[in-house]
Amino acid sequence: MRDTLTSIRRAPYQSLASFLILFFTLFLALFFFNMTAFFNGILGYVATQPQVTVYFQTETKQADISQLKQQLEATGKVARVEYVSKEQALTIYKELNKKNPLLLEMVSADILPASLEIFTTKPEYLSEIDQYARQQAIVDEVVFQRDIVDKLVSLTNNLRRMSLLILAFLVSTSFIVLMTTSAFKIALKKDEIQLLRFLGASKWYIRRPFLHEGVFFGWASATFAFMVYYALFFYSKTFLDSYLTGITNLPFFGLEAYNLYVWPPSWEYIGLTYATIVFFGTMIGFMGNYLATSKYIKI
Amino acid sequence: MIAFNNVSMTFASGTKALQDVTFEVADHEFIFLVGPSGAGKTTILRMLLREQLPTAGSVVVNDVEISSPSFSKTQTYRKTIGVIFQDFKVLPNKPVFDNVALSLQVSQFPKNHIAEEVEKALELVGIVDKIHMFPQQLSAGELQRVAIARAIVGDRDIILADEPTGNLDPQTTWEIMKIFKKLEKQKTIILATHNADIVNSMQRRVIVIKNGRIDKDLKKGGYDL
Repeated sequence: MRDTLTSIRRAPYQSLASFLILFFTLFLALFFFNMTAFFNGILGYVATQPQVTVYFQTETKQADISQLKQQLEATGKVARVEYVSKEQALTIYKELNKKNPLLLEMVSADILPASLEIFTTKPEYLSEIDQYARQQAIVDEVVFQRDIVDKLVSLTNNLRRMSLLILAFLVSTSFIVLMTTSAFKIALKKDEIQLLRFLGASKWYIRRPFLHEGVFFGWASATFAFMVYYALFFYSKTFLDSYLTGITNLPFFGLEAYNLYVWPPSWEYIGLTYATIVFFGTMIGFMGNYLATSKYIKI
Repeated sequence: MIAFNNVSMTFASGTKALQDVTFEVADHEFIFLVGPSGAGKTTILRMLLREQLPTAGSVVVNDVEISSPSFSKTQTYRKTIGVIFQDFKVLPNKPVFDNVALSLQVSQFPKNHIAEEVEKALELVGIVDKIHMFPQQLSAGELQRVAIARAIVGDRDIILADEPTGNLDPQTTWEIMKIFKKLEKQKTIILATHNADIVNSMQRRVIVIKNGRIDKDLKKGGYDL
């Protein structure tokens, strides 16, 4: 540690360059990691919502709705159909808008339509069910979520591709900056390295301080990136809350058993992101300096 | 024992650094390598350090041919050698203790014995009172003593000294030579020098190198070029 700090003091600008490029890379890595996890959680959330929701005209009798429900179930293309009465619709509406009393005033069960929430056995049946429901005279509106799901899937895939490209570019840049600054530091320590070689030091012994420094930079910049990211995140959480009303918990890749939630982020999830980003950062720092020492230190 | 057997060294440019050099150095022997600049003294020391390999012949140390390209224990071998340079090569950012301890740390010497060994070596070279000082606070003679302490500490049996008094005044030169005299019973010492006074007064074996060849090998020689 003392050697690492001495080395930083001896080449402060090179050290700052290494730190900043690693910080920038890790900050964006953290951002993309969270975004990918978030969109994955959103996809999971959407999948749990009804795929086709059929809203009936307010005067529709329950018997007619039950008849349509039976007809749909008889097609064999429907996995589940749930009836939501006007009263249940009001309860859901109240729950969703409990923070906004203005929206709750003047609303009663009479003005909310009853609905059927339909889950198909296969996604390709969605349009068929949609068409069939629209032909019924008692139906007021059909909300078909396939477009939303398709858009989300496409968005998640694009985000993943884009983040991989940007991260690959940033990681390469980090490697180059780390290698260049390490080469400079190796040149600064040329006499010391030569002396160590003459004393019989192994390549690993000579490399060790450089590798320690790389790992230190990885850890320090990952920790700083983590702190800045979550400071910004919690600062803007109230704003994000207003957009995500109704979404209670988004698990991280289905790992709710470990209390890993992307939204709102659980402490376990925050801990996981810290461990991941520190691991990623120290690996970049280690590998960058490992390559530099392999290239520039000849035993 | 050290043996050079018909060693030749020709650089890629065609320059012949050594030609058919053969000599032996017994354990705990003290020899001077003398000769004009460019004669090949440093090349011999570099070969003993395995920094350079001969283009012909062999270098054998303690029955092991270290000049063989297949020799794979360079680092272990170097741990048996102490090197002293004209420009000291003392690390400026480390105190005297750390500079000397480096030699033991590299050899993975037991940590609890390092302080004791460093003090012993510094005692021998007469600067134990400077143990916590930094190189900037030391004179040239003291720096060379640090370098000697670093070369002799631990189990290093062979001492290679390349012009160790080249940067020192006559008074300090004699003090340094006294240290070498103290060491000669415990270590094999090969000292390359230009200094005629010290060679003449020490009356030890002298190998004279000229144009890459051994010109003379005198049991108790003087500086006679």
